[in-house]
Amino acid sequence: MTVLRRLRRAGGWFAATWLVALVGLAVTAPWLPFVRAADEKVRVGGKLQSRYRLGPGRHALFGVDNSGFDIFARCIHYARNSLLVGVSATVIGLLVGGALGVAAGYFRGWVDRIVSVVIDCILSIPALVLAIVLVSRLDDIRQELPGLGWVTRRWQVVAALSLLAVAPLARIVRAQTLALREREFVLAARSLGATSRRVIATEILPNLVPTMVTVASTGLGLLIAAEGTLAFLGVGLGESWGYLIEANRRRLDKAWWATVFPCLMLFVTVMAFNLLGDRLSRRFDVREVIT
Amino acid sequence: MAGTGTAHLRDADDIVLRVEGLVVEFPVGRTGLTVQAVSGISLDVRRGETLGLVGESGCGKSTTGKLLMQLLRPTAGSVRFDGVELTTLSGEALRRARTRMQMIFQDPISSLNPRRTVRDVVLEPLRIWKRGTAAEQSAKVDALLAEVGIDPARAAESRAHQFSGGQCQRISIARSLVLDPTLLICDEPVSALDVSVQAQVINLLEDLKAAHGLTLLFIAHDLAVVKNISDRVAVMYLGKLCEVGDCATLYRAPAHPYTRLLLDSIPIPDPAAPDVPVTADGEPPSPVLPPSGCRFHPRCPAATELCATTEPTMRPVGDDQFVACHHPLVAGLT
Repeated sequence: MTVLRRLRRAGGWFAATWLVALVGLAVTAPWLPFVRAADEKVRVGGKLQSRYRLGPGRHALFGVDNSGFDIFARCIHYARNSLLVGVSATVIGLLVGGALGVAAGYFRGWVDRIVSVVIDCILSIPALVLAIVLVSRLDDIRQELPGLGWVTRRWQVVAALSLLAVAPLARIVRAQTLALREREFVLAARSLGATSRRVIATEILPNLVPTMVTVASTGLGLLIAAEGTLAFLGVGLGESWGYLIEANRRRLDKAWWATVFPCLMLFVTVMAFNLLGDRLSRRFDVREVIT
Repeated sequence: MAGTGTAHLRDADDIVLRVEGLVVEFPVGRTGLTVQAVSGISLDVRRGETLGLVGESGCGKSTTGKLLMQLLRPTAGSVRFDGVELTTLSGEALRRARTRMQMIFQDPISSLNPRRTVRDVVLEPLRIWKRGTAAEQSAKVDALLAEVGIDPARAAESRAHQFSGGQCQRISIARSLVLDPTLLICDEPVSALDVSVQAQVINLLEDLKAAHGLTLLFIAHDLAVVKNISDRVAVMYLGKLCEVGDCATLYRAPAHPYTRLLLDSIPIPDPAAPDVPVTADGEPPSPVLPPSGCRFHPRCPAATELCATTEPTMRPVGDDQFVACHHPLVAGLT
């Protein structure tokens, strides 16, 4: 029991440390002396180290790839895209999914019926298929319609992943709101004359925050994995861990580092978000028992 | 039993709340059936009076409380409060009208938002209605908290889960009084509390009633609790009223077999006391398919064929005692 608990606590700390370090490195990468630029080729003694010549070591932490780029530097720089896309999609998911879920759960009636049908529809389509179709459709739309030049690949991926994030969040928030609206403190607020807007803002939303934070944290991991998958399949971003895996995997026998390290980055980051979500859910469950 | 009728309603000037023919139906899943949780309740409460509403679990007491507050909207019937018909109001008008009527709930801890300090919770009504300056609001809240026996300084920094159930119920009471209501609906306010704390909270309610000129509607499943606090008692069974009457009369000489059963079920704290024979057994029937005629007849020791076919209506059986029964337990009336 205590061993389990200690492991769990260690997991939480590991997750927090990893994520802080990753975000810190990714944000400050251009100014860090030990991180090369993403498109700077590795030279040792003036000699270009291309064709996977350099394994993990002193000159390049994670080795080099076919063109002589530094895998470590690319992993750090590309973390920006993974994190940015994941966080943007999660924020949009929280805002849109949260609003839909609260509206459906609090007002019920026809609002609930429409929202529920839409959620069920989205969830019934395989997520990855939906994302791939969306990204390629958005590509076409961008070319056909003028004035959409700003909708770069990055925002297309964000849009596709947001849609994936909205549905589960809306569903969970709706269920929680349904339960909360029957709680006595909500009834009390209503009988004291609070408007619906006030009841939602002061009584319902604060009690939804723990659930939303927990679900968002686990969901962030999933979205980053999905982003990697899209990149791996060639419909995502070129500057992504998933793309590194795809570009180097054919030489796995000769240069394992070029594939394994991006895989590890993706794996550990997704796991860290999951551990964090797990830790948060436990923490908030404890509070629920007390209250 | 299970009577409808309005013979027990009074015709006085100081009626604060008058409820007539209150009905609420809920759909049962997708079966197309409905359940009448409350099925034709009529009540009235005079200013300064305490009306006890009793009945076993599931008979619709709490639903009645919520219907009065319009937290649930009734399917039919009227609720007149302070001369205003509440059932036809909505939106702003309803919000305004029901501030003078407040409710206390059974679960004291769930009654308070776990994410806010207790003082904030009590202050909230004044903020909603923007009554007075911030200083006046603070003064009023602190005074009320002190009156119910909660330290205002502690309330400012603590949340609901840091208080005991009894303290939470006191805080709920303070919140319900902040807007100076005339009527307080207490929905089993002490059922979730320890017996020793129950008495304290009931005494507090009595004191506050006198100090603030309140009228109480006290909902409970426990006749012993109701006896001490009520002026008048109404007994409910399966969504209908059985008996209404003056508290002392009803306890001394119950006219309805169901009231009698409830009174006989009060445990006597004396091991030498003789066992009281149970006069009805079984569970109450489902309100989805209620029994014909008098809803109590399948369990009633006095039931006859008439009870199975015809629903009794309220009729007087004495000074301020009304019963909906074909065979009331009163000499000369059967």
